[in-house]
Amino acid sequence: MRERWTNTRSRSLAALVGVLIAAMVPAGAVQSQDKKPIVIAVPVGLSGVNSVVAPAVVQSGELAVEEINLRGGVLGRKLQLVPLDDESGPAGAVKAFNTAIRQHKADTIITMETSAARNAGAPIAERAKTLFIYTSFYEGRACGKHLFVNAWVPEQVVPPLIKFMTDEKKVKKWFALGSDYAFGRGMIEAAKKTIKGMGGTILGEEYQPLQQSDWTAIISKIRAANPDGIIYSTSGGGPNIDFMKQFKAAGLKMPVGSLSIDELTAEAGGGAAEGVYYTGDYFTGLDNPANQKFLEAMKRKFGGNLKTPNSLSEPEYDGIYAYAKAVEKAGTTDVDKLVQVLPTIIFTGPRGQVQMNKQHHAPLPVYLAQVQADGKTKVLKSFGLVDPGNQCPNLK
Amino acid sequence: MFTTQLLDVVTTAGVLYIVALGLLIVYGVLKIINLAHGAFLAVGAYAGVVTTGLGWNPWTAPLLAFVVGVVVAALVEWRVLRRLYARPLDTILATWGLNIIVVQLITLYFGREIRFAESAIGRAVTVSGATYSEYRLVLLLLALALGVAVWLVMQRTQIGIVARAVIMNEELAQALGINTRLVRFVTFCLGAGLAALAGALLTPLVSVHPNLGVPWLINAFMLVLVAGVSLANLALAALVLGGAQVLVSSYGNPVLGSLTIVILAVIILRFRTITI
Repeated sequence: MRERWTNTRSRSLAALVGVLIAAMVPAGAVQSQDKKPIVIAVPVGLSGVNSVVAPAVVQSGELAVEEINLRGGVLGRKLQLVPLDDESGPAGAVKAFNTAIRQHKADTIITMETSAARNAGAPIAERAKTLFIYTSFYEGRACGKHLFVNAWVPEQVVPPLIKFMTDEKKVKKWFALGSDYAFGRGMIEAAKKTIKGMGGTILGEEYQPLQQSDWTAIISKIRAANPDGIIYSTSGGGPNIDFMKQFKAAGLKMPVGSLSIDELTAEAGGGAAEGVYYTGDYFTGLDNPANQKFLEAMKRKFGGNLKTPNSLSEPEYDGIYAYAKAVEKAGTTDVDKLVQVLPTIIFTGPRGQVQMNKQHHAPLPVYLAQVQADGKTKVLKSFGLVDPGNQCPNLK
Repeated sequence: MFTTQLLDVVTTAGVLYIVALGLLIVYGVLKIINLAHGAFLAVGAYAGVVTTGLGWNPWTAPLLAFVVGVVVAALVEWRVLRRLYARPLDTILATWGLNIIVVQLITLYFGREIRFAESAIGRAVTVSGATYSEYRLVLLLLALALGVAVWLVMQRTQIGIVARAVIMNEELAQALGINTRLVRFVTFCLGAGLAALAGALLTPLVSVHPNLGVPWLINAFMLVLVAGVSLANLALAALVLGGAQVLVSSYGNPVLGSLTIVILAVIILRFRTITI
């Protein structure tokens, strides 16, 4: 009996609550509809070759989303970050993009990926009319109505480096070398064009298979050619250090420009890459208030788990801010409106001023840096905003 | 130019010899190809990372590597391999699985990113007019020393004689009362220890990451296939195949050069009669 009584009472209580809720329904329903979060999918290489850098990308995204949400989100809606694993390749990207669009109903995809993964994922986003902001530097000329890029293409980092080495280091006779794959050859191709344009000569050009870590034969060829300077583009990470260790140990001393080294790799190599010049759009050592603020916020949020921000991870932060500002300005997440508005958005972040107004690409602040004796990177100078050139002539 | 190329050839052979030595010893006595050889190279390379972290002299890295390699190998032989000697094909699976496990454990602890190991020597020296990497020359000497040491062990010590007996005819050796199980155990530990030692010796040349052993494993495998079980043959194979690789890379290009070892190995195997 007692149980039954309780039951009846709870039922009537429930009924009362029900009535109260019903009274609030008209307002409530509209509210919850509006307050649905804006979903930002991040298909990124959590496994595979990109798994070294992917956690840093996700952290950049988490910070941007947290900061924007603390200010009340966008149009009264919160942002929600959904990281997905694209396995660093095309097959994984297809799965991740479909999951993002169909299951998570992503409003946008903002991510750093390998070129192979991007080439597989971009058409899926294009068909689904989902705005895709690509935040990785890449070989250039990826175009789509819904595809935007806020990171560098070779036209932005190669000519400044070659020009610096020609003018300041008096390099006229060059030796070019790289890893034998699309990105390595593409970067060297761009470098050769600039070198010839500046009246330099190329004494030798050599490519090494990706899996080969012994550079002995190429180093002997460099010695025989005796160039004024070296320009190289290996695959990312280890091969940079392999080459530089062996180059140094062979007693070669000419200036070296790298199109493939990054801050983390240089630091992991200790002094191996000391003296190497390279260009880029982001370095932790950039001396501007936005970067200080960004780095401090990252340290506060992630503490000991912080993955050092780098030129592949920082643009994720910029990309989310650019998207949020575009939504705010357009007053909607409607993709057709955003495609119009996004190129007008200027976000001044840790890298400096970024606006994707050049055929869906962005003129970027480019800096010259040099690896120091302890492996740390020192920013030597700024080239100002460098134009990406004609990446997608069919787009505005 | 000629001196440099000659040095390129002999030092490349030296590096290949050091890397392949452990694999050859295991193959000779146990008749199995230790596909975890690459993982042991990685273990040795990370010994260099550890000694750098502790601030020890870089020359302690190869010693630590050898010890760690032997300990890991002892555990593996005792718990896994010992049960599989009657099923040679399964040992391929087991050692490859071991390779994956060791590489993943290294990845879990150290991460996938490259790590820094201090080099003992980073200088260049002048040899009859040619400036050359001092460390590669030291490696060449170490290769000779290791070769002689292993040869002496095989020729002059009790364990060497027993090991040779097992190589020549295991059943007969067993019938004569030789504890072949112990011989296998010691050999596997020694082979893995040498692999780890080689890994530590590679760190001044290449960057340290969990998969650094894979390309070396492939070359070492080719060399052992060509050399069979003879130490002298291994030295010859390293000189011929390594030399061909260097020369093709120098006069042709490195893409062709990297194919040279594989192609030459196939050609040599076609004409070489298998002898032990």
